[in-house]
Amino acid sequence: MNLSVEIAGLRLRNPLIAASGTFGYGVELEGVVDLSRLGGFVSKGLFLEPRDGNPTPRLAETPSGLLNAIGLQGIGIHAFVRDVLPRIARHDTVHLVNVCGDTVEEYAEVARVCDGAPGIAGLEVNISCPNVKKGGILFGGDPRMTHDVVAAVRRATRLPVIPKLSPNVADITVFARAAEDAGADALSCINTILGLAIDVETRRPKLAYGTGGLSGPAIRPIAVRMAWQASRAVGIPVIGVGGISSASDALEFLVAGCRAVQIGTANFVDPGVHERVLADLEAWLERHGIDDVNSVVGTIEYPGLPGPGVCETEVCR
Amino acid sequence: MIDRMPANRIAPLVGREGLGGHYWLLTFRHAETAVGARAGQFVMMKAGLSAEPPLRRPFSIMDTDPGQETFTLFVKEVGPGSRALCALEPGDVAQCLGPLGRPFSTPPDGTEALLVAGGYGVAPFRLFGREVGRSGGKARLFYGGRTASDLPLLDRLAATGLPVVPATEDGSVGHRGRVTAPLVEWLDRPPGPARLYACGPDAMLHAVARLAGERAMEAEVSLESWMGCGLGTCLGCVVLVQGAGEARPKHRCACTEGPVFDTARILWPGEEVSRAARGAAEAVA
Repeated sequence: MNLSVEIAGLRLRNPLIAASGTFGYGVELEGVVDLSRLGGFVSKGLFLEPRDGNPTPRLAETPSGLLNAIGLQGIGIHAFVRDVLPRIARHDTVHLVNVCGDTVEEYAEVARVCDGAPGIAGLEVNISCPNVKKGGILFGGDPRMTHDVVAAVRRATRLPVIPKLSPNVADITVFARAAEDAGADALSCINTILGLAIDVETRRPKLAYGTGGLSGPAIRPIAVRMAWQASRAVGIPVIGVGGISSASDALEFLVAGCRAVQIGTANFVDPGVHERVLADLEAWLERHGIDDVNSVVGTIEYPGLPGPGVCETEVCR
Repeated sequence: MIDRMPANRIAPLVGREGLGGHYWLLTFRHAETAVGARAGQFVMMKAGLSAEPPLRRPFSIMDTDPGQETFTLFVKEVGPGSRALCALEPGDVAQCLGPLGRPFSTPPDGTEALLVAGGYGVAPFRLFGREVGRSGGKARLFYGGRTASDLPLLDRLAATGLPVVPATEDGSVGHRGRVTAPLVEWLDRPPGPARLYACGPDAMLHAVARLAGERAMEAEVSLESWMGCGLGTCLGCVVLVQGAGEARPKHRCACTEGPVFDTARILWPGEEVSRAARGAAEAVA
């Protein structure tokens, strides 16, 4: 049975990628999970310089979900390349770096540093973090800026460029096309959904930052819808992400048109989740007499749906 | 520092004892934790395989039985996560990742370990009392709570030979008032070389840190922090910590660099600089 998939010229041994922000820099999981069993992983978002992130509390549990405002705490790309990459290189896995910036120039500079570093297979461009004042969502919420930042990263590197799109927009297809036009090799859909949880006793937000990004099973139908819309709007592959914790969750995204998926919040709940999803995915394929996972991609049966590129849902009209 | 790698596996419940007042002793089979855990370390647990509540919860390890490959938690039902765990019946399973985190450090030879516990913060001190005893050292436990029923382990701990000084805010058992009052009395004697170890509510930990500062004592506290993963990946449980040589405090994960921290390195509410950094700066000046 073939479980391997190809995204942006990268061969992944299976379609399950650990999502950025839920897997540290990979090395934290050494000894707990076998990194070589993953399709790949995306390391925590990195700016040029170290970041201390937001004050605490940073997490709030919500029904079937998790609201977070970590604020991209990180060690910076230079320390990462110097101290962490050699440890990641000991593992046989496809490793993508999540690239952040306050400015277009910073994104490009982080990408340039990655370009010359061994052990980085590709770049995910974070234009969708809702928990920082600058960068992040600022770029992902305006199609022109999405185009500019993706184009700048494209010029700065030969590595595959995979923008991670924000769900906090009215029509994700506009952003998907802007990223494709700017030279993206694939898209990750979606990042967290902007949310607010309030402690009614103090009448203050539960998170110190105020608002946060919602993830987990609660957002899965939104993520499937947006990944499906994006995959119909562009020719480049789409990686589905949002609330996956089982094989059937992953299959929803594949059937919707995604060539691979990312598992995020579920890594916190169970760091071994990908092993279970992989085993169940294989069993599902076997049960359906399918010998190649790629043949599931885009097989959605949606009676009455017009052809690709035309979106007929409410949000697109 | 983790002595052994944590293991992520299903742990069956093998024993369950209600202590009244929403307190339970829960014993699980999980070989790696039973064999490898040290006092102050914790496990990330979630009852069964259900989706709700979404996250696992951290629980301090109260005791281990390497021979039986089991460990015991002292749990108070406070929310949906702990309630679900306490509702398990023997034979039911939990998801378990552990042992995790930095344990309490063993006191040097000739230094008495003064343990300060508030409520269910007493959990790590059963194991720690044994560790100190095994290394030939002496320990004494100051065990506080609101009322007598918040000290359900009092008799059992005393029965292990550990000297226990109880305190309750309503005076229903032991000293009337906060647990730090009998501790201060003891320190005023003075008792000889001693190191403080504390686990409990933040206000109690802060009071212990202040005492340690005033008396130039070493003190370690186990911080309770909202943890998402236990492995240092979610960055939810960070606390502001500043070592002696560091120019500014940094967010550090309570799950991997703690939960046990030297009180001098912690930035307590209202502090701009940690005691360790202040001390280092004064030494230079």
